[in-house]
Amino acid sequence: MEESKEKNLAEIRKLLKELLVENLSLEDIRPEDIKNDEILFGDGLGLDSLDAVEIVVLLQRNFGLEVKDMKQGREIFYSIDTLARYIYENKKAT
Amino acid sequence: MFISGIGIVFTRGRGIDSFENALKEGWRAPSWTGSFPAYRVGQEILIDASLSKKIRRADRFSRMAVLSAVDAYRDSGITVNQSENLGIILATAFGPHATTFSFIDDILDYSDANVSPTKFSNSVHNAAASYISAILDSRGPTVTVTQFKLAFQNALILAGSWIAEGRCDHVLCGCADELGTVMEYACKMKLNIAKDGKINPFAFSDSPVSVPGEGSVFIMLSKEKGSNNYGKVTETSFFQNITGKPDLFIIDTDGMSGNEKDYKDIINYGSLIAGYSPVFGSMLTGSALNFAAAALMLKNQVAYKCIFQDNPFGAKLCAETYAKNLDEIYCIKICRPEIKTIVKLQK
Repeated sequence: MEESKEKNLAEIRKLLKELLVENLSLEDIRPEDIKNDEILFGDGLGLDSLDAVEIVVLLQRNFGLEVKDMKQGREIFYSIDTLARYIYENKKAT
Repeated sequence: MFISGIGIVFTRGRGIDSFENALKEGWRAPSWTGSFPAYRVGQEILIDASLSKKIRRADRFSRMAVLSAVDAYRDSGITVNQSENLGIILATAFGPHATTFSFIDDILDYSDANVSPTKFSNSVHNAAASYISAILDSRGPTVTVTQFKLAFQNALILAGSWIAEGRCDHVLCGCADELGTVMEYACKMKLNIAKDGKINPFAFSDSPVSVPGEGSVFIMLSKEKGSNNYGKVTETSFFQNITGKPDLFIIDTDGMSGNEKDYKDIINYGSLIAGYSPVFGSMLTGSALNFAAAALMLKNQVAYKCIFQDNPFGAKLCAETYAKNLDEIYCIKICRPEIKTIVKLQK
């Protein structure tokens, strides 16, 4: 069970990294360069508020998930790990 | 107004040196992608490490415009940070149509609530000019002029007005057009595309052939003569009869504007004739690239060779590249017998 969850999370992380690089036009960054626990905004990967809106659209389009609460969004968008966990838990629930 | 800088992005590279080399080298076969030959701008040309953060979100259209505008600015050697003295005018026939149509497709595919905000902002015609303004930290007027056949000429008239009325000391005036999927379809349906990839600028045909192209050129126009000077623009106007006798006419024959028979009358003025569409391809804003060629010729005092297959009316053409005293060049675009434009450049 735990092994299956970890496998699913790994797949989501990989997909997320590819989607971020492609949809946010991160030219100098390869998906494999993004660390799972790297902070996405500010000093980390350097994403900004417009990127946050792009991620909201990306979650809706690719996973059918809506993030409306910005306070919740801050926690979800912290890193690839937090995003992947949110997707895993909410996709599973639906 | 004086021409103090030129920047260019076209099928063979970036920068005025690349353009000069292409003019010297002559014809090169276009690439074949899809169902017809075309002069495309390679993705590698649009990468610039020094600007990568500032144009991360820019689409292809905006990138072409930004790179050529920044190059024209740098070429001029003029610095106008946070100044209201620099105006920016982008002329385009179709704008960022690839992004615009992609944005519309996304609304259909994902609903209007789930479309990319970045794609929306890039789909606006003035996006490219806004990128340029932000990167150069300009506070002057920034506009985009959109017109099918005479966008560049109208942009030049506007630039001249801004400089004449003292609104700006310098104007970055340029054009950009891209070859997206929709444009490719339009070309395929509407144009007589040369399957051998050869535009024939001096055939003066009523059904001329074309080879679609894309790219961007920006010209830094200044009130005063600067340290870098390509010459000056003395007139941009509509005409019925040409007054004056230039050393050279450059004509915009590229198969994009239909019947080219009226260009034949230019032969009667007895001056040398040139046209460089075979170097960069057929574009409705190709006038700007021919203008850049004229400015380069005045600065270097060199006549660049024309590429042609046949010359049925015996036009006096620039058959070779050679040093030549050039005091005045007229750039001509004829849309219809009653719509003829002339841009006069002087050394």
